[in-house]
Amino acid sequence: MAFLQWRRFNFFDKEIVKDEGGQVFDGLKGIDISVCASGRGQILFLNSLLHYEGNIHFLNRNLELSTFKAYELRITHLCQVKQQGILVTVGDDEPGTNPIIKVWNLEKRDKAGNPTCSRIVRAVPGKESSPVSALAVHENLNLMAVGFQDGTVVVYRGDVTRDRHSKSRVIHHTAGAVTGLAFRQAAKVNHLFVVTKDSVQSYNLTAKDHKEELDAFGCEPRCSVLSDTSQDNQFVIGRPDAVYFYQTDGRGPCLVFEGEKKTLQWYRGYLVVVGKENKAMPRPPPGGQSRDMSIVNVYDIQNKFIAYSAPLPDVTDVICEWGSLYILTGENRLMQLIEKDIQTKLEMLFKKNLYVLAINLAKSQHFDQDGLVDIFTQYGDHLYSKGDYDGAINQYVKTIGKLEPSYVIRKFLDAQRIHNLTAYLQSLHKAQLATEDHTTLLLNCYTKLKDTNKLDQFIYSKDKEVDFDVETAIKVCRQAGYYDHALSLAERHSQHEWYLKIQLEDIKDYQKALTYISKLGFYEAESNMKKYGKILMSEVPQQTTELLKRLCTDYRPSDIPLADEQTLQGGMPARIHKAPADEFIHIFVSNSSKLMEFLEHMIKVQPSSPSLLYNTLLELYLHDMAHDGSQKAELDRKSLDLLQNTDAHYDVNQALVLCQMHNYKAGILYLYERERLYQQILRYHMDHDEYVHIINTCKKFGGQDPNLWVQALAYFARKEENCRTQMMEVLQHIDRHNLLPPLLVVQTLAHNSTATLAVVKDYITRRLQQENDQIQEDERLIHQYRQETEKMRSQIQELKTSAKIFQVSKCSICNHPLELPSVHFLCQHSFHQHCFEGYAENETECPVCMPENRKILDIIRAQEQHKELHEQFHHQLERAPDGFSVVADYFGRGVFNKVTLITDSPAAPPPSGVNPFGEPPELQIKPAAPKPASKSAAAPNPFDDDDDTSNPFLAESTNPFGEPESTNPFGED
Amino acid sequence: MSYAYLFKYIIIGDTGVGKSCLLLQFTDKRFQPVHDLTIGVEFGARMITIDGKQIKLQIWDTAGQESFRSITRSYYRGAAGALLVYDITRRDTFNHLTTWLEDARQHSNSNMVIMLIGNKSDLESRREVKKEEGEAFAREHGLIFMETSAKTAANVEEAFINTAKEIYEKIQEGVFDINNEANGIKIGPQHSPSNPALGGGGGAGGSQPGGGCC
Repeated sequence: MAFLQWRRFNFFDKEIVKDEGGQVFDGLKGIDISVCASGRGQILFLNSLLHYEGNIHFLNRNLELSTFKAYELRITHLCQVKQQGILVTVGDDEPGTNPIIKVWNLEKRDKAGNPTCSRIVRAVPGKESSPVSALAVHENLNLMAVGFQDGTVVVYRGDVTRDRHSKSRVIHHTAGAVTGLAFRQAAKVNHLFVVTKDSVQSYNLTAKDHKEELDAFGCEPRCSVLSDTSQDNQFVIGRPDAVYFYQTDGRGPCLVFEGEKKTLQWYRGYLVVVGKENKAMPRPPPGGQSRDMSIVNVYDIQNKFIAYSAPLPDVTDVICEWGSLYILTGENRLMQLIEKDIQTKLEMLFKKNLYVLAINLAKSQHFDQDGLVDIFTQYGDHLYSKGDYDGAINQYVKTIGKLEPSYVIRKFLDAQRIHNLTAYLQSLHKAQLATEDHTTLLLNCYTKLKDTNKLDQFIYSKDKEVDFDVETAIKVCRQAGYYDHALSLAERHSQHEWYLKIQLEDIKDYQKALTYISKLGFYEAESNMKKYGKILMSEVPQQTTELLKRLCTDYRPSDIPLADEQTLQGGMPARIHKAPADEFIHIFVSNSSKLMEFLEHMIKVQPSSPSLLYNTLLELYLHDMAHDGSQKAELDRKSLDLLQNTDAHYDVNQALVLCQMHNYKAGILYLYERERLYQQILRYHMDHDEYVHIINTCKKFGGQDPNLWVQALAYFARKEENCRTQMMEVLQHIDRHNLLPPLLVVQTLAHNSTATLAVVKDYITRRLQQENDQIQEDERLIHQYRQETEKMRSQIQELKTSAKIFQVSKCSICNHPLELPSVHFLCQHSFHQHCFEGYAENETECPVCMPENRKILDIIRAQEQHKELHEQFHHQLERAPDGFSVVADYFGRGVFNKVTLITDSPAAPPPSGVNPFGEPPELQIKPAAPKPASKSAAAPNPFDDDDDTSNPFLAESTNPFGEPESTNPFGED
Repeated sequence: MSYAYLFKYIIIGDTGVGKSCLLLQFTDKRFQPVHDLTIGVEFGARMITIDGKQIKLQIWDTAGQESFRSITRSYYRGAAGALLVYDITRRDTFNHLTTWLEDARQHSNSNMVIMLIGNKSDLESRREVKKEEGEAFAREHGLIFMETSAKTAANVEEAFINTAKEIYEKIQEGVFDINNEANGIKIGPQHSPSNPALGGGGGAGGSQPGGGCC
């Protein structure tokens, strides 16, 4: 039987109550105490029934005792309301009468310092009088129940402290005496428990006193008590076999605490049971009379253990006041049971390794979290040391958040404990307290355990907040070969780098990687394509190219609808991102066909692409053309199109190099032409000995660059083979455009051993003929000019020396016969004075000759101005097909002479009808004087005067032949 | 909490077969490896749903010790269902079933639904009683049978709920007189039909006292 009870602890210390002086308190000695009650800081004792005294004694905290007489005869019951200073007593003032209920107000004292009695009422159960056997007062002071010996219970409703409005009513009547009464309030429903010696009932006082029969046996007086909320305010009765609990509607649990009960008391979650000690006193106290021994048990109902158990001599009552438990023993000794503090209790439990109990206890006492964690830790340690690793880890899990995780982890690092470690780490993550290391460790555990399910759960659980470091998790999964998990993680948490790394490097699912990239935002997609483009290209060229195309034109993530909400609502469309295509070219390194496709697309979509694209595309075309014969025509066309495309921004020089490298004739020629490098075209043809093309080139571009013909001639001349026809043609052109002096032609052709005289015969003949004609013409002109000059000289001479006869009969203006006064000019024009004055602009000039003279003067003046305009001269020289004639012309115009116009001195008017070419190149022009006898100094004729320093042939600075050779057509070899 | 019906259960069986653990698992969903001996009778309650109806189970967990038998017997009365538990790792607990069954039949009403439970099914390695034996015993005595593990919670819910279903069916069939509380069945406060017999005892038959106070 020994084991058929709860564990027993010693959670209370028993002390005899001592006064301030340290002496055992014995103030109660000599008072026969029958009933006790407590409340509001005082313990009340009733005088014993035996002495018929009817006194009430108060004992306060300082152990000061005060007494007042409440009844004349005796007091049988008292009830102290806990919340208010109201005391209800039942007693007799006279023998043989009905008991009297008195309600005392302890707050209000009369003059003698005694409490005032606010109500006196007789307690009558019915027709017959009967002693009171039980008393209960509801805390709300509106209900009072009195039980009688005859089994009647009277309930008084209304204010307990006053007679007025108070109604009484018999609600119960059974055979046996009422042994206990208790009010229970739950919500707004009031119940009254009534217990007799052989029944337990509950009455619902709120619902018409509805009765519920709870049990068919009852208990002795003072063996019933109402528990507190920790036990749901159940009504507890103590019977010899057990303690029974009752709800208002039925029997609750029962606890087998055997033994005859004397008193039941409820103290802060503890049930205090005072029972009779069955065993006789082991030895009677020396010299004393033998006394009854009682056993006091303090049960913790919730946690199921005995908190205190000790035999005490003759316990009268148990009182809960001042925060602890007082026990009144025989001889009116007051004992105090002091509850140990929770820490001490836990220590005791730990010593016995009763951790579960400790935890329950701590929880029921609302122990704080830190304290609980301590217990969990100790329990965990204990279980660990016993080898119960599963249990230990369960405890450790509860410490998460307080206990340093490494403390636990270290213990479970052993490979065999990996399950436990996993569980712990899992919980750690759930609590969101895991660090990177923990995540790593957990994932490592999963992978070690090959527990894919768990791993799945850990990684894939979507609704869960991320409670681990994603990057670490990815890393670990990857290392362990759980690529799918790593991928899923990476994808979910937008770790694009990782996703792609895994997809490409581990799984090698290029298609997926590509799809993934295409879903990314622009910048990510761009950078990732740069990074992984090469590998993607080598594996899934088609799709990669497609993606690149999109990326470089108007990229948007593939999972975003074409028109997003913003656009639909009329907002600004999202900026279109374009990646620079040239940055992706290197990706195509091993796949030129895709590159070609890509570039073609790019160029088509964006003609303004950088030159690199065009260059590359061209290179591709050319390269392919060189290596792949099948598509030659197509490629040829394409590349030419490209070159000829005016929008194409290719670099001409580079294109040229490319064409040359790949020996792409059409391209080379086109580019030469485009750059006007006709010489190069010619040279190219020459290098390839394509006579027809040479001639064509010359024909085509000869207009722009006549030298081509010369070169062609030189080329043909050098040719050893017979190319007479070509030569003939060239010569023809040279001839036509007079490109080369015949001597040079002959010289050139002389190099050729094959060129026969026949080739040049016609040419030479013609040339010579022309020369001859020219010479003759020139001679004729010379002759003519000389004659004219001579004539003019003689005229001048005549003017200078001989007199002039004015015999004109008519006025040159009005054509009427001359009349005096008249004006005559040396130029043989005469005028009426009035006509002259009317027409002449000035007096010194003949109005008839003046326009002519003026013209000549203007020419001379212009020439003088032109003299300074070297550039114009050079320009003309360059442009002219025959440079020499330009020089000669200038020379003829006297440009190279120092001509000064002297306007202040009178001069003879120049002869009319002078040919400018026939004019002496150097002339001091003087305005015609009104008088025919003008003293004009004749300028020295340059042709006559060789000493003149201004002779252009001597002055180097003005020598046109001193010009740079490049412009000299004869300077060409 | 309102309920349509309240069923009273009783858990019986030899000491140490795991009666209290079954209850703890069912009501608190936890398992306590170290469990003190039940002294007397303990009590637990939980709401379940059957056929869309809220049903409150009030479960009496009795001490298995022979010495408590007299007290626990008084709890048989007024139980609508009983879980008769044995330990599959201890043959003697199985052997005592007959005694328990007789006891239960004798002290309870004849309609009581009894569920035979072979507990500790997680300890397969230490099994002494075959599942077939349990099944045979149940068949022979007209019981429902189930093997459970209070530790892993396997079949624990099912054991309680299946019993409740059985009782519920019996109510539907009219086997139980639901107005007689001695049958262990109570109609929920707001479901109670206007039956004056219910209010019988104390005053003028009103609504039932307390309601769902426990």
